[in-house]
Amino acid sequence: MVKTPRHKFHKELFTHRGGGERPAIVVAHDENLQSRFIVQRVLELREQGVALSDIAVLFRSSYLSFDLEIELNKANVPFTKFGGFKFIETAHVKDLLAYLRVIENPRDAVAWNRILLLIDGVGPRTAETILTDLLARKPGKNLFRDDWRGYPDRVRTLFETLGGVMPEHLAPADKVASLLLYYDPLFKRRYEDFNKRRKDLEMFQQITERYRSVGSLLADLTLEPVTESISDISPPGTEDEKLVLSTIHSAKGLEWHSVFVLYALDGRFPNIRAAQNEDAMEEERRLMYVACTRAKENLFVSYPINVYDRESGLLLSKPSRFIAGMPESLIDAWVVDEE
Amino acid sequence: MKKYTLRKTTTDNRSEPESRRHFQIDYKNQLNPAQYDAVTSTNGPHLIIAGAGTGKTRTITYRVAYLVELGVRPESILLLTFTRRAAQEMLRRASILLDARCEKVAGGTFHSFANQILRQHAKVLGFDSSFTILDQGDAEDVVNLLRTQMKFDTREKRFPRKKTLFDVFSRSVNTSRSIAEILEEDYPHYEDYLEEFSLLQSAYVGYKSKHNLMDYDDLLLFLRKLLQEHEGIRKKLTEKYKYVMVDEYQDTNRIQAEIVLLLAGRHKNIMVVGDDAQSIYSFRGATIRNILDFPEEFPDCLVIKLEENYRSTQPILDFTNEILRRARE
Repeated sequence: MVKTPRHKFHKELFTHRGGGERPAIVVAHDENLQSRFIVQRVLELREQGVALSDIAVLFRSSYLSFDLEIELNKANVPFTKFGGFKFIETAHVKDLLAYLRVIENPRDAVAWNRILLLIDGVGPRTAETILTDLLARKPGKNLFRDDWRGYPDRVRTLFETLGGVMPEHLAPADKVASLLLYYDPLFKRRYEDFNKRRKDLEMFQQITERYRSVGSLLADLTLEPVTESISDISPPGTEDEKLVLSTIHSAKGLEWHSVFVLYALDGRFPNIRAAQNEDAMEEERRLMYVACTRAKENLFVSYPINVYDRESGLLLSKPSRFIAGMPESLIDAWVVDEE
Repeated sequence: MKKYTLRKTTTDNRSEPESRRHFQIDYKNQLNPAQYDAVTSTNGPHLIIAGAGTGKTRTITYRVAYLVELGVRPESILLLTFTRRAAQEMLRRASILLDARCEKVAGGTFHSFANQILRQHAKVLGFDSSFTILDQGDAEDVVNLLRTQMKFDTREKRFPRKKTLFDVFSRSVNTSRSIAEILEEDYPHYEDYLEEFSLLQSAYVGYKSKHNLMDYDDLLLFLRKLLQEHEGIRKKLTEKYKYVMVDEYQDTNRIQAEIVLLLAGRHKNIMVVGDDAQSIYSFRGATIRNILDFPEEFPDCLVIKLEENYRSTQPILDFTNEILRRARE
């Protein structure tokens, strides 16, 4: 394999703006202290007039923020997390999409399986039989009006519903409204937390109103997941302004007044596995670069020590190699202490 | 027959002096010198190395406006971005800057562009234009179904799960490597199953074509195939899109780069924008080589670097410059 040159296009970024604090490298004696440091600092910044939505906490992997999320909840700081489950990937939204997909492409066996299996009393074998029969029939707009005698009642109801929303002149929003009526009882039976999930369906309905054809609606939704699921956003705050938690990958191209990069701990960031491969290690470095270049005014790079790594059996305590041993003139070194 | 020759409405070389034309926008005063060069140098291949916070969006926005002001038909400009929102935002800003003509520029992601082109030409590829798209979860479910149908689930030895199977197929497509290579490098413990992997993959391909389905990788694969194997269609597309711009080029994969090469056509009015120091999507098959090798693919390309940052304070920049500097040593 050819070795990748590291940085072929050398550049040195500069600004004409004056002033600014040096980035802080913050060490905390354990993970929880790191979390509480971030919570306290975020609240201080908020008191100084920085909007919560103009502050971001960035991390290498989604799980690294779990402890922080608990502390934020305790302190009643509302936040949005990016880089987790997407709206479109949630099961209930996928159910709804499946109905639209079979109207658009009646050969879509994946979608058929999904919606047939939602019906009480229909298992994989029945679904398979129905599917084979369906594919053997003549496609076209009368497909759902065909003769479906001999089918269980519940399946016939599905076909009637689909036949009803087939006509081209119906707007996607109207089709979705009919489908929701059909789907509602199935939805409630399937998901215990249906009340929380219902907001997503409402949002889905709202999105469909912008569209004139099911085809373009489907293409857009599958190609460009629109937004995070509402049920992922917690806790519900009265102020609509929220702190941003994000993986570095999802923070690409964005910027905030103040940025925290957490778990800049060697073995976590860079990930312990990256050590085996030089290209992977350089990509980790670029990730750190991307994370730190998101900050406009304040940058805090923090790491906990005494973190036990199950996989290797090592106790992780060193700062990330990308920030370790930085010239003193470039940074402020902080230690988190308890009162 | 009387010969009537139409005059050229666009500049056809890089050095056309701007002063000869009348522009609505004062490009020189609203851009820094590097941005200005990137905006006003329009013909031939260009590589713009845009550091973090150096006004990349602004540069692309102004370039769209500039091309339109030059008289280039907006429909013949193609802007490919990492997210569709990015394209929409740039075109919206260009419209505010100049006028509504900029909204007509063709913009989107590689996948949405592929989707649009493939719907028009689905027939020649053996698909119906109403094909539906499988997201990753759907695709894994299909693989799982086939895994069961083909009785791989009853093996005595642990057989890879649907996620692993699909990951191997997808990796093979996105990094242009064979399944054997992927297994050797990434899943050595499954190397004994090479034959089963291959059987499952062909079953998966067959299933999709039978049910008129494409997954995300197919969109790119079939677009490349269309451009490679159907010279007439490729010619039509390269004539249609006379100016091609690609954003976030450091995070494109091999197939996307090949699509770019095929679209650049004979006119070679191709501009790629990106930052090699911000390439972070290799886990999805992106390769930093695309941006590094661009000057080799297009030896006459012009490289312009944007280094003036408008986002961060100098202490933050000193710190981030240092992170990169230590990589070079």
